[in-house]
Amino acid sequence: MSILRAGIKATSSTKGRHPRMKFGFSFAVIILLLYSYSEALADSPILLRDVTNQTGITFVHTDGGSGLHYVMETVSAGLALFDYDCDGDIDIYFLNGAPLKGTEVDIAPKNALYRNEGNWKFTDVTEKAGIGDRGYGLGVAVGDYDNDGDPDIYLNNYGPNVLYRNNSDGTFTDVTKKAGVDNGFNVGAGTCFLDIDKDGDLDLYVSVYLEFSYEKNVTLTTKGFPVYANPRYYPPLPDFLYRNNGDGTFTDISKSSGVGNHAGWGMGIVCCDYDNDGDTDVFIGNDVAENFLFQNDGTGKFEEVALMSATAYDSQGDEQGSMGVDCGDYDNDGFLDFYVTSYQGQLATLYRNLGNGMFEDVTLVTGSGAGTLPNVTWGNSFVDFDYNGFRDIFVACGHLQDNVEKFDDTTTYTARNILLMNTGDGKFIDVSDQSGDGMKIKLSSRGAGFDDLDNDGDVDVVIQNSRREPTILRNDSPSKGHWLQVRLQGVKTNRDGIGAHVKVVSGDLTLIDEVHSGRGYQSHYGSRLYFGLGSHDKVDRIEVSWIGGGIDIFENVTVDKIVTLIEGQGTGTQVNSLR
Amino acid sequence: MKRRTITEGRETSDTGYPQQPASHAPKKTLPVLLAGFIVAFNCYLFQVAAFSQSDENSQTTVTTSNSNELNESTGSALKPEQEIAALKKEELELAERLMKDFPDSINPIMLMGNLWERHGDATRAMEYFNKVLEQDPKRPDVYKSIGWFYMNKEQYEQAIAYWQKALEIDPEITGVHHDIALALMGLNRQDQAIEELEKDVRISTDSSSSYFLLGQLYLQQKDYEKAESNYKKAIEIKPNYPNAYYGLFTLSAKLKQQDKAKEYMAMFKKLKAEDMNALKRVNETVNDLADMRKGAAETYLLAGKMYQDGGNLQKAEELLKKATTLDPNNILCLGKLASLYITTNRITDAIQQYNRISEIDPKDPVCHLNIGILSMRLKQLGAAEKAFRKVIEVAPEISGGYRELAQLYLRAGKGFPEARELAEKAVALEPTALNYFVLCWACDMNGDSQNAIKAILQAMQLEPANLKYRNVYEHIKSRN
Repeated sequence: MSILRAGIKATSSTKGRHPRMKFGFSFAVIILLLYSYSEALADSPILLRDVTNQTGITFVHTDGGSGLHYVMETVSAGLALFDYDCDGDIDIYFLNGAPLKGTEVDIAPKNALYRNEGNWKFTDVTEKAGIGDRGYGLGVAVGDYDNDGDPDIYLNNYGPNVLYRNNSDGTFTDVTKKAGVDNGFNVGAGTCFLDIDKDGDLDLYVSVYLEFSYEKNVTLTTKGFPVYANPRYYPPLPDFLYRNNGDGTFTDISKSSGVGNHAGWGMGIVCCDYDNDGDTDVFIGNDVAENFLFQNDGTGKFEEVALMSATAYDSQGDEQGSMGVDCGDYDNDGFLDFYVTSYQGQLATLYRNLGNGMFEDVTLVTGSGAGTLPNVTWGNSFVDFDYNGFRDIFVACGHLQDNVEKFDDTTTYTARNILLMNTGDGKFIDVSDQSGDGMKIKLSSRGAGFDDLDNDGDVDVVIQNSRREPTILRNDSPSKGHWLQVRLQGVKTNRDGIGAHVKVVSGDLTLIDEVHSGRGYQSHYGSRLYFGLGSHDKVDRIEVSWIGGGIDIFENVTVDKIVTLIEGQGTGTQVNSLR
Repeated sequence: MKRRTITEGRETSDTGYPQQPASHAPKKTLPVLLAGFIVAFNCYLFQVAAFSQSDENSQTTVTTSNSNELNESTGSALKPEQEIAALKKEELELAERLMKDFPDSINPIMLMGNLWERHGDATRAMEYFNKVLEQDPKRPDVYKSIGWFYMNKEQYEQAIAYWQKALEIDPEITGVHHDIALALMGLNRQDQAIEELEKDVRISTDSSSSYFLLGQLYLQQKDYEKAESNYKKAIEIKPNYPNAYYGLFTLSAKLKQQDKAKEYMAMFKKLKAEDMNALKRVNETVNDLADMRKGAAETYLLAGKMYQDGGNLQKAEELLKKATTLDPNNILCLGKLASLYITTNRITDAIQQYNRISEIDPKDPVCHLNIGILSMRLKQLGAAEKAFRKVIEVAPEISGGYRELAQLYLRAGKGFPEARELAEKAVALEPTALNYFVLCWACDMNGDSQNAIKAILQAMQLEPANLKYRNVYEHIKSRN
């Protein structure tokens, strides 16, 4: 990290004899130096360009505040990237805040859905789609909960939550009441669809941040400046788990499943099969307290094992101000690792999956916390931006105290985001400075989504910025490796293939991933899976282990394209195999 | 850590020449009269012979300041944020004034740097710290502070560079090797971090944090035996150290020692729960205004010291009073103000400050000792006796209370046997020259010249240059 930030020094020697020659020689040297300098600046193999202005997106986030410092203002919000109209490209759904007590507005803000028109143009179709919820948006998940072939959307709000069922015609219907998932009046956080009991439909995990009421709002000052109180001033609450009844309704099984017996300050969550036993587990990043890792016993009963698995705390046994959490196999050892973002003064934490149910905090030895210490960090993901076969890490940054510079000038409210490049040997280096103008934007970012918005093969980035317009980054990485995008279509298992475990084998390269619904910082993205293959120009085999289903094997797959793998259409299908 | 200056009176033991109790007895026989005279004379002699150090400071008359700057009631009409802003403004103005009034001193520059740091402007703080270094490059504490500035920005190499400068000046400075190790860990230079921590524990043998970090590093390097021993050392020093138990739990889990892992996990959870409860209590008592006032009180205290050292006692008093108003529970401020009052012979005011200290910290022996000594000066023997007894009660292991009470009795001309017992106790606890002197006095008043001489000889041996001890010795010897 420090090597890359050292700057580039150039030396020159210009001893000419004649003035004209001397000038010409000097000029050439200058040109050469400038070229070298620009080349050196562009040396990072990853290039992210800011294309926000050309997209037509006019959404501006509001946190609904009016200076009274309600805690939820600081944590809004996530976003969703998904193909809402099933036309083959990724659309964007932004969550918005809503007026809080004391805030008056002429027009109430709402969430916004932008349809991808191609070529980096997006159209606001919120009204038409009927998905402009005016609740206080915090977390979102997308999943085909009714298995009718199109993605539905669940909003985890401050206030009543909302389940929008996709009508398959570009519109949505609010079916919250019928489904029974409004979840009362809580301060929401991350949320996920997952099949907890392998019965083929998507259940719903709903995290709750904390217990809040206007009457018990805590106001504080630091060095005389009004600040938001930290969550410890508010009691923690347990999360909720709803089992899909298969008929459009859900049943609250929070207590009986075990998850409702643990109160925490839940924020980002991700669901994955961390122990490779064929079912989906749940990792919750709890703010200011130990994280939770709920291990699924295969039937939808969960045991909290974070402490035993060494994911509750960092390597020193300290709790973190956990914000966002994502999973990915950064070292290609076949096991999903976790990356958890956190508060200022703490490094974001990389938990390496040791494969035996245990993890290890490898942040320091891998350099994967570089740049995060002075910042508050939020949305994040493991993404192979240059498709060299190793997943990089993107971290969205921005303080939650909007006046922090007044009492702590070691940090800033707005901040540049961070890009950590995976060097392929288990380490990361900070290439933020060398990865294009998109990495120079300074806003107060929150949720982030990662998907191929222009279908050119590589992964782009959409960032939700607090109180501002979003940031859209196009991946223009100059030399990408070969790649493969995988879309799953469940038949007997859930239609989106959520929870399905995919293994791609290409020569000596073996990559894994899973389809997730809801991840990072209270966001949703990556319904398609992205595999970077480096120099490998063909895929020998793809194994898909469906949650609650068998294993499909697809062989000799050509690369540099998007493939749709349908359950049951692979060769060598095995039933009920464990990985 | 609380530090207080001890009133000069205590150090010199005898702060005056107590009047002999007037003899109200009717006509006595000659032997009685003679005995009485001898007692009186001996008392007088001991008083003369005892340490009597004149005040170092001139006896200036200090008038109570009615300056408008003394804001007794801070910001009652102001919102807390407004009061904090006003405090900050006043502190900065004070610091500026100090720099003007003491242009040749780096203390005001350092104070300004600390002030900006406390108010969250580390950049400006660094400017002043660097100015301090320009004038005095031999300031390891300043290099240490600057190091942390860079550490917080994740600029590890710069942090290490400054900390190494601190070590060049003072190789035994505590904590710096530990801080360097943290930065090296940030750079994943584990072997070097271990070296630094090993150095740190040689200097600071009670650094539980360094032992814990050593445990962490050895664990990562799979040297499990060393990891375990370092975690355990950390716990020996700090038994309620949850992180060290977490380390042992992690280690045991790695080694598949299930029973140990469970035991350590249970302990970790218990301590962690206690920590969380403590944090909750802290949250409940957080008071930004009170914290800012405490910080400001420190500034006024330092400023008051500067003016006092510079001879401007009036200004010093004004600032120290402001400090005690801002933070009424700051013992250092109260102690410093008391010291100033003693310097200016305002004993009653000084006693008032020590009384206040005793309310804040009733178990502090020094303030009771000072109350006693100063009460003696005012001839308030009852109050003095009460104070000395309090010293004995709260700190039976120090000799001062016994000695001073013994002296009180000797001067009062009563309780000589008890005085002797007290003096013997003092000597037994701390065989100092002064204690021996008092023992000599007590023995003599009890008619035990032999032991009186033994005691004064001890005192002379410990302080051969003390002529007063010699005088007393000669006197007793001549009598015998």
